[in-house]
Amino acid sequence: MIRRLLIANRGEIARRIIRACRELDVETVAVYSDADAKAPHVSEADHAVHIGAAPARYSYLNSEAIIEAAHASHADAVHPGYGFLSERAPFARACQNAGLIFVGPPASALEKMGSKTGARALMAGAKVPVVPGETPADQSDDALRAAAARVGFPVLIKPAAGGGGIGMKAVRDPAAFGDALAAARREASASFGNDALYVERLIEQPRHVEIQVFADSHGNTVHIFERECSAQRRHQKVIEESPCPALSGAVRHRMGVAAVAAAKAVGYVNAGTCEFLLEGNGDSANFYFLEMNTRLQVEHPVTESVVGIDLVHVQLRVASGEPLPFTQSGLSQRGHAIECRIYAEDPAQGFIPQAGPILLYREPQGPGVRIDSGVQAGSEVSVHYDPMLAKVIVQGATREVARRRAIAALREYAILGIRTNIPFLLQILAHPQFVKASIDTGFLDREGAALAASIPTTLPPAVLAAVQQHQSTIGTHGTQGTQGTADPFETLRGWRG
Amino acid sequence: MQPLGDGWYLVIDGDRRWRVAIADAPDARWVFVDGQVERIDTPSAPTTRGRAKGRGEASVMAPMPATVIAINATAGQPVKEGDTVIVLEAMKMELPIKSPRSGIVKAVHCAQGDLVQPGVNLLEIA
Repeated sequence: MIRRLLIANRGEIARRIIRACRELDVETVAVYSDADAKAPHVSEADHAVHIGAAPARYSYLNSEAIIEAAHASHADAVHPGYGFLSERAPFARACQNAGLIFVGPPASALEKMGSKTGARALMAGAKVPVVPGETPADQSDDALRAAAARVGFPVLIKPAAGGGGIGMKAVRDPAAFGDALAAARREASASFGNDALYVERLIEQPRHVEIQVFADSHGNTVHIFERECSAQRRHQKVIEESPCPALSGAVRHRMGVAAVAAAKAVGYVNAGTCEFLLEGNGDSANFYFLEMNTRLQVEHPVTESVVGIDLVHVQLRVASGEPLPFTQSGLSQRGHAIECRIYAEDPAQGFIPQAGPILLYREPQGPGVRIDSGVQAGSEVSVHYDPMLAKVIVQGATREVARRRAIAALREYAILGIRTNIPFLLQILAHPQFVKASIDTGFLDREGAALAASIPTTLPPAVLAAVQQHQSTIGTHGTQGTQGTADPFETLRGWRG
Repeated sequence: MQPLGDGWYLVIDGDRRWRVAIADAPDARWVFVDGQVERIDTPSAPTTRGRAKGRGEASVMAPMPATVIAINATAGQPVKEGDTVIVLEAMKMELPIKSPRSGIVKAVHCAQGDLVQPGVNLLEIA
């Protein structure tokens, strides 16, 4: 078993991994940047090593400094968490070369899944469904039209060299194909200096459904069911849940089989996730492979809650060479779980990220409520890193029980000093379409502005009046920057609601 | 309003009760009730983020950690209330920092490209 684990990450995921290590008697080594010297993940670890300046490229993305820290602290393994270096094959290989266990897949699997086009070809070979599409070698109008007919309408015309949605044209009616093609070609040429086009089946109002997979180094690979992550704003997941309300048992089984085939096709070991687009509902739904996330996911607690396993424990055991502690037939889903991501952002100001001190902090509690957080009272939220502060994970016997529990928990979660998206999450959880579980990946991009605008902005009058009369505590706590006008009655006047 | 400890208070109005959390920052009072958060500017630190120091003096502060991308004033220069004296950038957004009052710039305490922290004096007006 791993004896001493260096955690090459920060925030909530570093703390979550430290907890798992405590339970398994594995010693922990935290790493930290200048900005994180006082962060909770540093004080909670058994050992801590400073690795560089605040910008991530000097610290959490500095693989040499991290491997040096592992040697200096006599760690025998490295857990990359998610983000930062977690999916970088050269880092996994560097760990291996330095004699360290990398808690994750082999570098070769990271490489194979890291190339979108390579992964797509591999998946097609492994009979994992992918979104039909092609880049015809012959780029004439007729050849592209023929490609669209093979792919099937509605189609999306995309610049082959492109990205970021630039030059993409949706065509629902074959008669409109010619005009869209000409426009896409002009934009591709203007934006990317290359007018080659890719024609892809347009999946209308898809859901994002992903399958957790786990493989050991003894040839066992299982899937651990799905997570539904359609509630995303600009491709950033906001709320995840399991089970997916749109999935029938038969489709769930077929997706699980496909995800296991995908993992086996790249020689996968440890925890990974296959992301799919789901089109339609029930037994007639179709699914298409998007990509594989070759690491532990942010939303892994949703799976832990409904399946009753600890994915980080299993990661550490598998990385130590042990076989999976469960078989496919021994795994089942029970009840429903919902995760809400708490971001430091202001929904009323176009979701701009927030930075600053957390003046007051209190987490919700109660049955079926789990908080994975990276902050505490007095933490300074920095401009240097991802604005996700914490995750609220709730479970209940049914989706409705879990939804109500999520609302109750968020209404208890007090974070003062910076704005968060908690009021926005409350609006989503109460939206009729979310209540009915009938959302697709475009839901928040369509409804987000209206939801943000419906956040209450006035306090109950009695609360406002009481708060305005309350004497400022500034100065009495020795906080610097007190008002020069020291008269307390002066500060009471003119509070504005 | 009954104090409950650790910044929490019970507000009672007739038969209605609210558990309210209050935290004061130098420039604002933060209030939490039932999942709702409100930030109430203190009267001496309105949207200009400036703060009266003594009689006839004011300082301009950064509202959040940010990079100074422009300084539109030099020491000795007269400025009017509301003039943009400094432009900060944080998270790819520009934040114009305005003079809290009319007067003469006494000193500039930052340079273009500086990473500044909240509460740090950027500029003084006499």
